[in-house]
Amino acid sequence: MLKVENLNVFHGLIEAVHGISLMVPVGQCVSLLGPNGAGKTSTISAITGVAKSTGSISFEDKILTGLSTEDRIKAGISLSPEGRRVFANLTVEENLVLGGGLKPVGRTERIESWYETFPILGERKNQSAGTLSGGEQQMLAIARALMNEPKILLLDEPSLGLAPKIVSQIFGIIQTLKKEKRTILLVEQNATQALRLSDYAYFLNNGHIVAEGHPNDLGGREDLMAELTGIV
Amino acid sequence: MEYVVQQIMNAFAFGAEYALLALGLAIVFSIMGLVNFAHGEMIAVGGYTMVAAAALTLQNPLIIIGAAIAVAMVASVTLERVAFRPVRYADPTTGLLTAFGVSIILQNIFLLVVSPRPIAVTSLYFLEWSLDLGGISVSSLQLFEAITTLVVIMLLMLFLKRTLLGLAMRAASLDFEMVRLSGVRANRVFAIAFMISGLLAGIACVFIMARRGAVDPHLGFDPVLKAFVACVVGGFGSLPGAVLGGFLLGAVEVAMLVMLPQSLGGMTDAFVFGIIALLLVWRPDGILSPPTEKGDKH
Amino acid sequence: MKRGFIGAAILSVLLIIIGLITSYFGSRYQIRLVYSTYVNLLVVLGLQVFMGNARITNLSHSAFMGIGAYAAAICVTPQNIKALSLPNAPWGLNAFSIDPISSALIAIAITGAVAFLVGLLIVRLSGIGATIVSLAFLVIIHTLFLYRTDIFKGNQAFFGIPQVFNLTFVVILAAIIVFAVRIFRESKVGIALRASADDEIGALSMGVNMYRLRLIAWVFSGMLLAVAGIAYAYFLGTISARPFYFNHVFLTLAMLIFGGMGTITGAVLGTFLISLGLEMVRWLETGPNVLGIDLPEVLGLSGIALGAVIVFTMALRPRGIMGETEIEDLVLKN
Repeated sequence: MLKVENLNVFHGLIEAVHGISLMVPVGQCVSLLGPNGAGKTSTISAITGVAKSTGSISFEDKILTGLSTEDRIKAGISLSPEGRRVFANLTVEENLVLGGGLKPVGRTERIESWYETFPILGERKNQSAGTLSGGEQQMLAIARALMNEPKILLLDEPSLGLAPKIVSQIFGIIQTLKKEKRTILLVEQNATQALRLSDYAYFLNNGHIVAEGHPNDLGGREDLMAELTGIV
Repeated sequence: MEYVVQQIMNAFAFGAEYALLALGLAIVFSIMGLVNFAHGEMIAVGGYTMVAAAALTLQNPLIIIGAAIAVAMVASVTLERVAFRPVRYADPTTGLLTAFGVSIILQNIFLLVVSPRPIAVTSLYFLEWSLDLGGISVSSLQLFEAITTLVVIMLLMLFLKRTLLGLAMRAASLDFEMVRLSGVRANRVFAIAFMISGLLAGIACVFIMARRGAVDPHLGFDPVLKAFVACVVGGFGSLPGAVLGGFLLGAVEVAMLVMLPQSLGGMTDAFVFGIIALLLVWRPDGILSPPTEKGDKH
Repeated sequence: MKRGFIGAAILSVLLIIIGLITSYFGSRYQIRLVYSTYVNLLVVLGLQVFMGNARITNLSHSAFMGIGAYAAAICVTPQNIKALSLPNAPWGLNAFSIDPISSALIAIAITGAVAFLVGLLIVRLSGIGATIVSLAFLVIIHTLFLYRTDIFKGNQAFFGIPQVFNLTFVVILAAIIVFAVRIFRESKVGIALRASADDEIGALSMGVNMYRLRLIAWVFSGMLLAVAGIAYAYFLGTISARPFYFNHVFLTLAMLIFGGMGTITGAVLGTFLISLGLEMVRWLETGPNVLGIDLPEVLGLSGIALGAVIVFTMALRPRGIMGETEIEDLVLKN
């Protein structure tokens, strides 16, 4: 569904990603793994149109180059960004309303169903989103990203900065999303957990794809795992 | 007793006008960090529209008021599209200087194309008369202004809380990029912000013109300055701050008018600014400045 | 630093040449024009010291110029004239008069002190916050000038200032200040300021006391502006509140931005280009007779032209013509 070919991503004059190619088929969860600074978020930024890039990005056979960020979102891409970036001065409910701006019909029902999935959000629905804990904000970011019923969810570092117990919770949520046959591109530093969920994975380092394949094959690549996770 | 009530009304009316003007500035600043010095020229545009409308429609006040507000809104949105879009994502200083430049250009265009001399607009004089409220005579215009401002503020609050674009505008003041990433068009958010700003300018214009009765190229300078000071006092970028700053400025100004002996009458402005200066020493970021951390965009 | 000296020297020579040509060949009108251009240059240089290094827009510079001008004017004007023009002056301000040099020094000291006090407040604020407060300061000072007519005479002319300056003085002054400002730019303070301007947190975490540096630049800037004000007063012989307000702020800001606020060459270039351009536009405004065609009067054209310069510079080349290039970079090989 999402096809990236020969992507170079630029931050100003600096090239952060050098000619990578990856693919996310419909209904699958694909991981983009790698250490800090590998270029994972840069890749995501290129897909959403925030960062300048060369190469080809196509979504459902539609070329994204030249499309504005808003148009790409409209085409069915959605992002739960690195650092969650909830709208801190809006309430939880307002966050969800804004997240669902493109699909006003049935919005209230969708919000209610998210309160069922994440009861804690329902409890805090009139609270300012900036006062939520890290884990709660991550839940909000995911719910917000899915309010527009996107065709693909880009999930950037959902476990970042969260306590291990919460991390498990979040990955449990991603597991559920997977069961619902959603198409997901998951970016993570936490390779072990991500690999358990993925149908396919790419390893990124220093802006290059150093390995790719099915988790079963990659899990055995101990050299890679050591380099990228720091665990020998 | 009558005197006290009248002065309170004065303070309220002055404050209401400053709050209106300050809100116009604050709305644009909160979203894009732009200090829109050309805001004053939107008021002048409204004034000149009134002149044209009066000439064309035999002084029908509803049309005159409507036209002024409509043109102010259109002019404001056009300004955003034409002059401010290139500097939209630039740093606040670039935007401020561009706005300065635009303001000077517009003032001189008025001078050049219309006239350097003031042009009278008398059709709105009917709005001002003396009301008797429980034995105390009060200016009707001040009452209208105070009431209108309160209504406008309430409607604005509703808009910001209940509509999608309103939510988008509030969110954009902290993280514009994320708002775009939620699918809301940046152009639309900016256009709406400037449109509201133009609306506020148009409404302020009605009251200013009803009082002054004439428009000249530099009409906008004083109001935008007052608006600016009100915003600074209330905390630049904060909408409640703009309202607070506006009413505070009005109160201080009337207080000075009342308290200063006749001989120092012309010094009101000096004292007002002096008090403002002291306020700034106490609270350099303004009283209600929005919370920013060093890492934030603005 | 050595390159700095070379650059300053080149600029000074150019300035002196212009000054000499005008002195010998210029009409009275042209001499006045060039003089005011040099005064504006002093203002723009003073502005550059702060804006170019701290990268924060300052809108209060004309106010400081005014403080310097008025302070010197009050000190230096002879008593008999002050008795006429400031009959109600408090604190015995109309009962003394000092020689021009001491008056100038006192004025610079006073302005420096005011700059220090205001600076304490301003340097701690963020970029746009500082700009906003500087604007508030401009308005406050102007209001003070306007309404304390017992000291300042407001919009009426404060006359009787001994006209002790002429074009030669101001040219030499400009040359000296070009050196001073350039040296500041290449000094440890200047470099540290520019480095930290882009990354406040980074600089702070490296132990750079940015607030102190900014304050130094701010006070230095204020004192240079006082010098400009004194040069203005000592030539014209009369001053009033009007020149030290928005129009002047805007004009000098346009000069600095157009030329490029990052460099002294930019300051000089911008000042002369805009002064020249403005004169041409003003000539057009009067509806002159060009090639037999009588052009119409176009009052307001100069304002539009100035505004357009700012708007287009901001949109197309925010760093100004010179950007970060100083004149010696163009002339020397490496």
